[in-house]
Amino acid sequence: MIGDTLFLFKLYLITAPILFVVGIYAIITTRNIIAMIIGIEVMMKGVTVLLAAAGYFNGKPQVVEPLIITMIVVEVVILMISAGYIINIVKKHDSLDVANINKLKG
Amino acid sequence: MTISLIFVPIILVILLNIPRLSGKTAYYAVLAFFIWQILSVFFPFTGSQQLAGLIGKVFTLNVYADGMSKIMIISAAIVGFVSLITSKAFSKYDSRLFSLSNLMLLSFAGINGLVFTKDIFTMYVFIEVIAAASYILISLDKKDGALEGGFKYLIISSIATVMMLFSISLFFLTAGSTGFAEISTAIRDFGGNPVILAAVMLFITGLLIKGGVIPFHSWLSGAYAEAPAGVSVFLGGIITKTVGIFALIRILYLVTGFNENIKMVLLITGALSIVIGAIMAVTQKDFKRVLAYSSISQVGYIVLALGAGTAFGVAAALFHVFNHAIFKSLLFVNSAAVEKQTGSLDVDSFGGLGYKMPVTSGTSAIAFLSAAGIPPFAGFWSKLLIILALWSAGYQGFAVLAVVASLFTMAYFLTLQKKVFFGELNPKLENVREAPLSLTACAIFLCALTIGVGLIFPYILNVFIFPAVGIM
Repeated sequence: MIGDTLFLFKLYLITAPILFVVGIYAIITTRNIIAMIIGIEVMMKGVTVLLAAAGYFNGKPQVVEPLIITMIVVEVVILMISAGYIINIVKKHDSLDVANINKLKG
Repeated sequence: MTISLIFVPIILVILLNIPRLSGKTAYYAVLAFFIWQILSVFFPFTGSQQLAGLIGKVFTLNVYADGMSKIMIISAAIVGFVSLITSKAFSKYDSRLFSLSNLMLLSFAGINGLVFTKDIFTMYVFIEVIAAASYILISLDKKDGALEGGFKYLIISSIATVMMLFSISLFFLTAGSTGFAEISTAIRDFGGNPVILAAVMLFITGLLIKGGVIPFHSWLSGAYAEAPAGVSVFLGGIITKTVGIFALIRILYLVTGFNENIKMVLLITGALSIVIGAIMAVTQKDFKRVLAYSSISQVGYIVLALGAGTAFGVAAALFHVFNHAIFKSLLFVNSAAVEKQTGSLDVDSFGGLGYKMPVTSGTSAIAFLSAAGIPPFAGFWSKLLIILALWSAGYQGFAVLAVVASLFTMAYFLTLQKKVFFGELNPKLENVREAPLSLTACAIFLCALTIGVGLIFPYILNVFIFPAVGIM
């Protein structure tokens, strides 16, 4: 039983960094501004999994629950703002390419 | 005081929106709130304590006011006051003024929460509140450059947020709680544990990204320079300083403590920021971009002072945060005045503006001198404290570097002052007049603060700065 829990725990501890790295990779390599936001969301999901796992293995799921709900609310607010940015950028340039927002130098 | 300063802005936003009042009403309400915020620090009986008692019956938050948070509350209210007045000079429509006032109130709910909080997760929530408000503020006019600068800020700052959340989860895993005290105990007990080390490293890196120090500075110049004039004052004066630097001070001072590795990281990033920020500031052609890079350089000083790792260093850093808030917002107000009167920010197109705008020119000169560390202005004393702190902590090399880098600061600011305000009057600027009274009044007020703090600095140090970090 203990061995099973430890295995599960390691699984979560490995999954979260993998999601984190996948998100960073998406942000760096993509040329689409919506995909950048998706990358951030993927990273965020990794962190959510880690926080939930931390609560579960600490035996304090009731402490973590409100934290995760707060996190999701904050995440949605930021998501809405980035959607506003994307809508305005697309209105200006009529494309989702990153090249449109790569003019400021220095 | 604490809870009411967090809740009053939120209640005010609700009152202003249901029913929707006019922009002018919102503007005066927010100005009144800033004055009340300063008053409530000095006179707790102007309503804030009674209100806190009332609100405390319904909500409980892990917040507590100490000396450090009082300093930040005062400087935030001063910068907010000035930046809102500056914004009004640029607001043609009532609705723009209305959104500005509301967003500023919301970010003040965040700032006040951040400086009072004693819980790492609450800190994250308030940082996000400030960030959300400032993303919208930057792109309020939907200009091309502002959308680009704001979007970069959003992406990079979100990555920093995720790093901080990652470390919060790791802290929770080891400490079983998110309060500062519990995490601090866990760090003391299992200091060498790789999970704890990773958590500390991720959190500090996230805060350094949000503060815009050198390896992570790419978002800063775009966001500062492309934001609307009044918002630049707010961003440059207080937002990155609270979100990045003040939170860093809090974490270092109350949670992780200083060890050799953390000190080295802070010293090296600080030194890099000072030097590279100053060199890049020399090469810029845009008034606000020069100020943005100078901001990076000055933040470098603050981080360097923290790197000394002593209570004296923290005091020096806090004092420089305050002084920087004052002189940098003064400079951004003056850049707004120049932009309003000439319609341009290109440094090369100016010349001899000092004849036409004597107040703007004079106050900028004083702000430049303060930033470069010339006595008797306020900036001199905080830089002196930083150098003393580094020297007494045994980092003589970095202390010498801080002195030498002051010359760089002098160099780019003198170039800017000469190109914009001194020299031959450019014939195209023949019809330029002095900026409107609201802008010059702000400039004179901030200028008086710079000189005043410089002259009575022993009082400021003994009453505010040193007690905040527990010296004497």
